[in-house]
Amino acid sequence: MGNLTVEFFEKTMRNPVMNASGTLGYGKEIESLWGIETLGAYVTKGLSAEPHHGNPTPRVWEERNGMINSIGLQNIGVDRFFDEYFPYFKKRKTPVIVNFFGFTEEEYLACAAKIKPDPFIVALEMNLSCPNIKKGGISFGKEPGAVFEIVKHVKGVTKIPLVAKLTPEVRNIVEIAQAAHEGGADGLTLINTMPAAVVDVKSRNIPIRGGLSGPILKPIALRAVYECSKAVPIPIIGAGGIMNTEDAISFFMAGARAIQIGTATFVDPYAIPKIIRGIGEYLDAHGCSGIGDIVGIARD
Amino acid sequence: MDDIEATIIQNKHIVSNYYTLKLRLSKSMGRVLPGQFVMLKIPGNEVFLRRPFSIYAYSNNTLTLMYRVVGKGTEILSKCPKNERTLVLGPLGNAFHIRKTDKYIVVAGGIGIAGVHTLIKRLGKKASIFYGCTNKEELSLINDMLHLNPMVSTLDGSCGFEGNVIALLGGYIESTKGEDRQIFVCGPAGMVRNLQKLIEKDRTPCQALVEERMACGLGLCFGCVIKTIDEKEPYKRACKEGPVFDLWEILL
Ligand SMILES: Cc1cc2nc3c(=O)[nH]c(=O)nc-3n(C[C@H](O)[C@H](O)[C@H](O)COP(=O)(O)OP(=O)(O)OC[C@H]3O[C@@H](n4cnc5c(N)ncnc54)[C@H](O)[C@@H]3O)c2cc1C
Ligand SMILES: Cc1cc2nc3c(=O)[nH]c(=O)nc-3n(C[C@H](O)[C@H](O)[C@H](O)COP(=O)(O)O)c2cc1C
Ligand code: FES
Repeated sequence: MGNLTVEFFEKTMRNPVMNASGTLGYGKEIESLWGIETLGAYVTKGLSAEPHHGNPTPRVWEERNGMINSIGLQNIGVDRFFDEYFPYFKKRKTPVIVNFFGFTEEEYLACAAKIKPDPFIVALEMNLSCPNIKKGGISFGKEPGAVFEIVKHVKGVTKIPLVAKLTPEVRNIVEIAQAAHEGGADGLTLINTMPAAVVDVKSRNIPIRGGLSGPILKPIALRAVYECSKAVPIPIIGAGGIMNTEDAISFFMAGARAIQIGTATFVDPYAIPKIIRGIGEYLDAHGCSGIGDIVGIARD
Repeated sequence: MDDIEATIIQNKHIVSNYYTLKLRLSKSMGRVLPGQFVMLKIPGNEVFLRRPFSIYAYSNNTLTLMYRVVGKGTEILSKCPKNERTLVLGPLGNAFHIRKTDKYIVVAGGIGIAGVHTLIKRLGKKASIFYGCTNKEELSLINDMLHLNPMVSTLDGSCGFEGNVIALLGGYIESTKGEDRQIFVCGPAGMVRNLQKLIEKDRTPCQALVEERMACGLGLCFGCVIKTIDEKEPYKRACKEGPVFDLWEILL
């Protein structure tokens, strides 16, 4: 099979495929099915400076061509992750991208500052979909000005490359991408889930409000990847509804340098290894020497 | 544990909206423990997340599930013909822990019988079974355990005790006071809550198999949690740390 190796922020990854944050637990959970070293990089579950309990149930709901989750960012906290789980990835020589969040700017800064550079940490991925509890719960990722500020401040407390993960629920995602770039982001992940709700007609209740993911998100994500990759010079990681190899290839063609797979793993726990193999086969069949040959080749 | 190709060899209607599904697996699931479950792919493209079902029986690469039609997925499943192919991820989750004791009491309501079926097979005559359902007809769900003399209750009183199974259990709990007992329970949340109230004073050892909505079944998504008394980390995954929990550690 062809060479899938890619360079990301001066670190080598076996391939350009990662799990999406929050969809592969703390990493170990998948080990009875496939080895974590299969991944180009493992993206952590969203971590915060202090642990969070998360939301009551229901936390997951199936929708037509998608699912809604309201996990509420349950996590053991960044300190425990590094004590208990990080050695597992180092031992298996698997690069890690540390997804993190906060409900105030101080919490983002506190979390980022706690993470020490390490040969196996490729980047920090900051989740900008979080509500800012000091600003009436409006998410950090909504306004270009706010994005510029928080990215800049986080850059001030870490030497690790910083990837900003954007919410699609914005007026103009290109503007947000530009603001993140100007704030100093070294890369972007596009996109996070889309806010959504369910109405149960029988009970007249709203059983869940949360983030929509899965196949339904793909065209929205592709457009974001395409337009932002034209507008900013930093690498883009594509995510949103990638269910199979063809979906994955379409993200590279739209301009993504790497991809993340989330909901697909719930449908088929082998989706990630299958897609990695599929990408290799595609490159071979089309005489490509590497993924770079197809990144951004799609034209209007 | 693996994701295993399966072929439907029988999909049989039992009574009201209850069915049993027999699947021939393309390879062994390995060791299956009482209380464990599988994530079943619903054939076709209408629903895409897997559905969790208790392992009702398993031997020689043949897996049996018992299910109740409650929504879209189970509705589609009930119409699946013989020879239809699908996927079964499992066995998943922890298991009932059978410690040595004088009395084993197994309590189930409705489809909850599916969750304790392998446990009952394991305990055999050592188990005192309490089963509650809607009416006489639904008692055909426990046809294969009549020789174990189950105590039954029906909501309409058409057979056995009239009312809910916890009320029926009350007398027995009273009459076995002081004995070393172990209770196992699987059923609707309301039933489990009533049981909790019934044995609150003695805090009789009890393990409960709980149901939560699941997306992955593997501990990946943290979607299926149940609240526990652990103050540091209250939400535990029903698919990973469960589905069997100590009744005195969960908050229903
Ligand atoms: C560990 C475990 C073991 C189970 N064992 C059995 C069994 O042996 N027999 C049986 O009939 N049922 C069992 N259930 C419940 C069964 O999974 C649901 O009834 C089924 O998923 C409903 O799917 P649906 O598409 O018909 O319903 P819908 O309501 O349309 O389903 C939509 C979503 O809700 C979830 N869901 C709905 N109801 C439940 C529920 N009660 N528990 C968990 N998830 C639910 C579904 O998985 C799906 O993701 C078990 C559940 C769990 C967690
Ligand atoms: C159950 C679940 C949990 C998630 N948790 C996080 C999280 O903690 N942090 C984050 O940035 N994104 C989180 N996401 C969003 C995913 O990482 C991803 O951006 C999104 O689901 C779109 O990809 P998909 O369609 O392949 O799932 C979560 C998604 C799901 C379904
Ligand atoms: S169903 Fe995903 S963690 Fe339990």
